[in-house]
Amino acid sequence: MNRLPRGVEWLLRVALPADQREPIAGDLEEEYGLRRRRAGVLRATLSVWWLAARLALAFRWETVSRGRPLPPIADEIPRRFTVFESTAQDVFFAARLLRRQPGFTAVAVVMLALGIGANTAIFGVVDAVLWRPLPYPNADRLMAIAEQRPREGRFYGPVAPADFFDWRRDTQSFAAMAAYDESALNLTGTGEPERLRILRASPGFLDALGVQPAHGRDFRADEEVVGHHRIVLLTDALWRRQFGADPLVVGRSVTLDGAPYDVVGILPRSFWWPTRPDIVAPLALDDHDRALRAAHFLSVVGRLRPGASETQAREELSVIGARLSQAYPAENRNHSPSIRSLREALVGDVRTPLLVLLGAVGFVLLIACANVATLLLARASGRQKELSVRRAVGATRGRLVQQMLIESVTVSAIGGAAGVLVAMWALTALHALLPAQFSTLPGITGMGIDLRLLVATLGTALATGLVFGIVPALVATEQRVATALNEESRGGSGSAKTRRLRSALVVAELALSLVLLAGATLLIVSFNNLTDVAPGFRSDGLVTVRLSLPATRYGDHARVVAFYDGVIERLGSSPGIHQVATTTTPPFGGPDSRLNLEIEHRTAESPLPVRAHPHLVSADYFATLGIPLIRGRAFTDRDNDSAPDVAIINEAAARRYWPDENPIGQRISLGDPPQWREIVGIVADVKQQALDVDAEPEASIPRRQKFTSLGTGFERATTTLVVRSDLDLASFVPLLRAAVASVDPLQPLGAIRPMDTLIAESVASRRLNFVLVSAFAAVALVLSATGLYGVMAYIVAQRTREIGVRMALGATSWQVVALVLRQAGVMIAAGIAFGIAGALALTRSMTSMLFGIGAADPRVYGGVSFLLGLVALIAVAVPSSRATRVDPITALREP
Amino acid sequence: MTDVSALGEFEQVVLLAVLRLDDQAYAVSIGDQILRCTGRAVSRGSIYITLDRLETKGYLKSRLADPTPERGGRAKRYYALRPRAIDALRECRRQLEALWRGLETKLA
Repeated sequence: MNRLPRGVEWLLRVALPADQREPIAGDLEEEYGLRRRRAGVLRATLSVWWLAARLALAFRWETVSRGRPLPPIADEIPRRFTVFESTAQDVFFAARLLRRQPGFTAVAVVMLALGIGANTAIFGVVDAVLWRPLPYPNADRLMAIAEQRPREGRFYGPVAPADFFDWRRDTQSFAAMAAYDESALNLTGTGEPERLRILRASPGFLDALGVQPAHGRDFRADEEVVGHHRIVLLTDALWRRQFGADPLVVGRSVTLDGAPYDVVGILPRSFWWPTRPDIVAPLALDDHDRALRAAHFLSVVGRLRPGASETQAREELSVIGARLSQAYPAENRNHSPSIRSLREALVGDVRTPLLVLLGAVGFVLLIACANVATLLLARASGRQKELSVRRAVGATRGRLVQQMLIESVTVSAIGGAAGVLVAMWALTALHALLPAQFSTLPGITGMGIDLRLLVATLGTALATGLVFGIVPALVATEQRVATALNEESRGGSGSAKTRRLRSALVVAELALSLVLLAGATLLIVSFNNLTDVAPGFRSDGLVTVRLSLPATRYGDHARVVAFYDGVIERLGSSPGIHQVATTTTPPFGGPDSRLNLEIEHRTAESPLPVRAHPHLVSADYFATLGIPLIRGRAFTDRDNDSAPDVAIINEAAARRYWPDENPIGQRISLGDPPQWREIVGIVADVKQQALDVDAEPEASIPRRQKFTSLGTGFERATTTLVVRSDLDLASFVPLLRAAVASVDPLQPLGAIRPMDTLIAESVASRRLNFVLVSAFAAVALVLSATGLYGVMAYIVAQRTREIGVRMALGATSWQVVALVLRQAGVMIAAGIAFGIAGALALTRSMTSMLFGIGAADPRVYGGVSFLLGLVALIAVAVPSSRATRVDPITALREP
Repeated sequence: MTDVSALGEFEQVVLLAVLRLDDQAYAVSIGDQILRCTGRAVSRGSIYITLDRLETKGYLKSRLADPTPERGGRAKRYYALRPRAIDALRECRRQLEALWRGLETKLA
């Protein structure tokens, strides 16, 4: 027969008045049969569901909007439906109740929306950064392989080309392994010249990621050889932007840095890489660079072979590494390959800070829950009579608990829905705060509310409703009928137990707030300590400009020198520009390369590897940055290829390698091939990588002297202009463009970044943490103060008669205030005590995020306890002043 | 005097459809009748609710017909007009005609 779908029957039973149910269900069933014959089961089922849902809605709406009693539902219904139906009934009842108490509903919903919304937003970030797989097939098989020097405390450094080629040849654990580096070059000939980000990767890179070109082909193994390397893959975005998504561009030639490159393919739209390259080209190194073992500048990614584990790969690589150390002791001693997941390599080790954030925002939600629970308790005590009556006429306790839980879950569901809006807004706001390395993650770009987040929100909302609802529900329904009716008749509201419970909730809120305040304060102090660190140079008015000269026109060192001579001279004489210099390694943005350092006449085995960061700088570099010269002389324009080779070291190098002697006049050689240079000066230390990283030994070399240990194209490809001026960027850029164009009209500009911005970015992740944790702490403080206020106001109201009696017997206002304060003081003191204990236990996990302050700093704990106590006292002030205004006569006359 | 102000426009439509259907008026056929005569597709829910309301107000009476197998053994509810409804419809028509009279030239 054409029986209606069961769900439809159920829906009709729940929604329709009893006397209407049968004929309507009959009509639907008749129609259902007809449609089944005409249109098939699926369409008939869909249409009957649609019809039934609209009917249910129409009848329910009719019932609710006319304020008629809900139709009887529980009669003649099979047992298995009662739970659903009583649930549905409770939901309607709860909705009606909430509408009748808009004040309570609004306060609860706002608190929950903030709590749930903030949690959803932070969960979105944490999920995207820590848990969501990177957008590659089997992304957990992708590893980043690096070189470590454990004795220098470096674990994931860049890789030397020769090492990479040996690993790739010898490994069995990896199905594909590829090296890459990133730079920029200029696209011309397609209209406006465009500066493109290029990812140069060895063939096998896309294989490793599991990406196929959408059009055309991948690189072939022989295309990493110089001479065959002039090919590119375009990203989808560039293909659309510059080539109008023309598939025929594959096979055509484009001009990059003045040289022709054949387009062999287009990457799929879904291709993602954190630095967002515009094109991918083969990494082709010439024979000199391929043999480099002492210059480390490549990154390496690999995909584990099916069946191979990370541990196996690590063991295998360390065996290969040990072999290389033996074969090339000069370069490879003390270092070995290290691996970690690609995700960790791309987003950095942000697990601790993100989990701290998640914990902090979870605390805010807990506090909001506690607050709503106290509201519910207050409300429940006002409903004692209703509950008692319902019990008296036979409702079971379970049924009442169910109904009250459904009320709280209804509140939290509304809060969750509003929370989604809060989360959408918060995610947009968060975007600006996120550090660059994860603002490009796929889960975060275009970060919106997706199914995953919705499920998380729904789960949070339901759990929240149960958490804050269960205790009030149990307490409220526990009372005996007689007691409740008695209390009600005396005009009191609620039992001692309810009061104790509310006090306990407030103590918990205060304690949680203190933990958050302590955490926030530690982060704020750390951030302040960090930004107070002097970088070692004057950053104000300093602008850095990346330039990358094409090999086609600047293959020769002399031409590079001439180009920068021209730019420095032309720009330096522009109005408003004070000083111009160049460096290959600007602070807070340069590459992090290290070379072995040899010291003439010193052969004794050093316990530590002797290494230094090489910098190629122009003569005015130190003066332009304001780096003090400690001893000796600075470079001059006469330090060129025809003069003796010279170097300037920093204080850290002098301290470490010449602790008891004067380095000036000594000769050193950096990297390979050996090239002896005389130390002519010592400059002060500069924070090169980050404010919280101490200066490492550095050796600077004048840019006019040829230096090849870092590869032939090092200076040409990665030089930064450092300019000190008092112009704003808008007036500076045209001057800069004119100066560069006057030397080489084909040369575009790279990234132009004020030094202050670079420094700010280096602390962005800490800023994110301290801003968010502080915001959470502030919200927590307000919420818990509100909670305390509510409880105290309630207690004062409850004790009005007692206070009246006391005043009638001669108690002064002060004695009354003391009475109230004593009660509040116990709660505040307990909150602070529990809070300090909790904070001491929890902030220990934050040690790695702190700078210049200990996790258990007593000043922090004293300060936040004082603050919390102060805010709590303000919250108590209103109720206690109200207590002093109690009029004994009125109080005693009250029923 | 029948209180016609209590009769809404849609209620009139439903009553007229019931009247046209003689003894075959039930929710589905009423909906079809309205569609056929006026071209208006009306939701089933509003028909059920209006029928219920009209019955409560005393304009309609209903009877349950014998269950049939096509309906899963469920009864069908047929509706018929009470005299009060006939009066109310007449009164509506009279009022409307009075309002229409003399407007022919203006609405031509």
